[in-house]
Amino acid sequence: MIRIEPEPWKVMVSHARKTYPNECCGAMLGSSLDGEKLVSVAIPLENAFAGAQAQRYELRPEDLLAADKAARERRMDLIGIYHSHPDCDAYFSKTDLQNSCPWYSFVVLSIQKGEFHHANSWLPNFEQTEAAKEELSY
Amino acid sequence: MAKVLIPTPLRQFTAKQDAVTVPGGTVGEVLSALTSQYPDLRKQIFNDEGKLRSFVNVYLNDEDIRYLSKDGTAAKEGDTISLVPSIAGGSTIAAPPSEEALTKDEILRYSRHLIIPEVGMEGQQKLKAAKVLLVGAGGLGAPLGLYLAAAGIGKIGIVDFDVVDFTNLQRQVIHSTADVGRKKIDSAAEKMQGINPSLKIVKHETALSSENALGILKDYDLVVDGTDNFPTRYLVNDACVLLGKPNVYGSIFRFEGQATIFATEGGPCYRCLYPEPPPPGLVPSCAEGGVLGILPGTIGLIQATETVKLILGIGDPLIGRLLLYDALGMKFRELKLRKNPECPVCGEHRTITKLIDYHQFCGVPSPSAPAQETAVNEGEIEVTEVKAKLDRGDQFVLIDVREPHEYKICNIPAAKLIPLGEVPQRLHELDKDADIVIHCKSGMRSAKACGILKQAGFQHVRNMKGGILAWSDKVDPSVPKY
Repeated sequence: MIRIEPEPWKVMVSHARKTYPNECCGAMLGSSLDGEKLVSVAIPLENAFAGAQAQRYELRPEDLLAADKAARERRMDLIGIYHSHPDCDAYFSKTDLQNSCPWYSFVVLSIQKGEFHHANSWLPNFEQTEAAKEELSY
Repeated sequence: MAKVLIPTPLRQFTAKQDAVTVPGGTVGEVLSALTSQYPDLRKQIFNDEGKLRSFVNVYLNDEDIRYLSKDGTAAKEGDTISLVPSIAGGSTIAAPPSEEALTKDEILRYSRHLIIPEVGMEGQQKLKAAKVLLVGAGGLGAPLGLYLAAAGIGKIGIVDFDVVDFTNLQRQVIHSTADVGRKKIDSAAEKMQGINPSLKIVKHETALSSENALGILKDYDLVVDGTDNFPTRYLVNDACVLLGKPNVYGSIFRFEGQATIFATEGGPCYRCLYPEPPPPGLVPSCAEGGVLGILPGTIGLIQATETVKLILGIGDPLIGRLLLYDALGMKFRELKLRKNPECPVCGEHRTITKLIDYHQFCGVPSPSAPAQETAVNEGEIEVTEVKAKLDRGDQFVLIDVREPHEYKICNIPAAKLIPLGEVPQRLHELDKDADIVIHCKSGMRSAKACGILKQAGFQHVRNMKGGILAWSDKVDPSVPKY
């Protein structure tokens, strides 16, 4: 179960809309207690994919490292990654899965024709073969 | 001794500590000390073979240890080691938006598709929403263009800058005799539009290049490669990999063809199969080696089938499989293709991250480079001068290094036929001090033969520039060109 507070949620949706028709990506900071996650801060990060970004994103490890540092400084934890799917469902694609990591929640925002449509959160497994849907509220 | 920062989700395995200081002189030693101290952590970081999991990057302070000395990177007191996952992703071909609903006319037109459950309304709408780029409107492009237009693909881009020639008509069925001299792109677009008036055709009348490829390809869902040369093949491949677009590949030669799909998610690319191009001139093109006219029909339609399957998301796509077709034996075979983890463009440690100079990579002259038509290089002789020598009755030997079946099509009667492959064994038939002129069809093979003779100590060897084609142009128009 992951809950996103209104402030970070606004940041994520506006980041995804602004980046449309390309994919956006970023980090989610907050706290996690016994599988109950709460996102208090969203940090937009640069999509570092070298190529058309309408259907792809890539996070620079350096940026993730910086996000983790920022979390520690605020006495928070890095608990998830978000990205958008322009004109496409918020499913966890094969590309998403094969470049995922089981340590974090992956929130996908579906942006249809430039407007927010729906979102899902996913928990990928170690083998990067499956992702379970995680309950998401915002 | 170094401090390891523990990512939040892993702290459950380190007694909730967010950082652990462990002994060890190298990063490898530190990580192994850490995981023996906290055994449950091991599975998180290492796979069953004891290797770092593919998504784990290890940073020493601010640097990825892959670019330092990997596991052997020295870790000193005061150093910080971080475990950073590599994360990427993206949506694949988008679901059809609702405005791609079919009209009444389209429902009638595609009725034979609509009544197949695997296609149906949903599938036909996917086809209508699809954007396919056809690279080349030649042998493979002809059947591809006709059938993809008929199948109801919504938008087809064509890249071609060539003109229809008489020698194309034996196989490029999208062009007719009346089109000879017209731009292939216009001739092809006209036929396709005739078959399907609602098709959107985008003409890219240009040679695909490193400068324009990404800009052209980016607007399409997938790319169908109908090219006949190595530089463009590598270019199409790399651009598809960089953009994450499938490359439906086909190639043909004489009686044999190949087809597969490259550059899909997780699948191999052309470079996984052929990391390096063949030496220039080793693999003849259709113009040099010939091709059964029907062959591109068979291969092009396999490409068309795979294109439609990919768009519909049905069946078993030709990914990771190279289909080989032998028209003489009438046999299909299949080779397994694997993604090469060391592939320079799609592997884990890629070195090619943008498009390169593909003509240089393949060792062939760039088409934009000034043509060498004008100057007669050393060791070459103009056809007109050969004619003059014959007319004067000069003492010299003219050798034709083409194949006997080509000699039957046309020849210069004074020429002695020694096919290129037999030249090394038949050197004894020639006088080392004689004045020798060698020709073939266009000058490529005769240049090789000249090299063989010079290597063997022949003193006066020259290559007849432009071959028998130039002879037909400049000396004797009654000699047919082929």
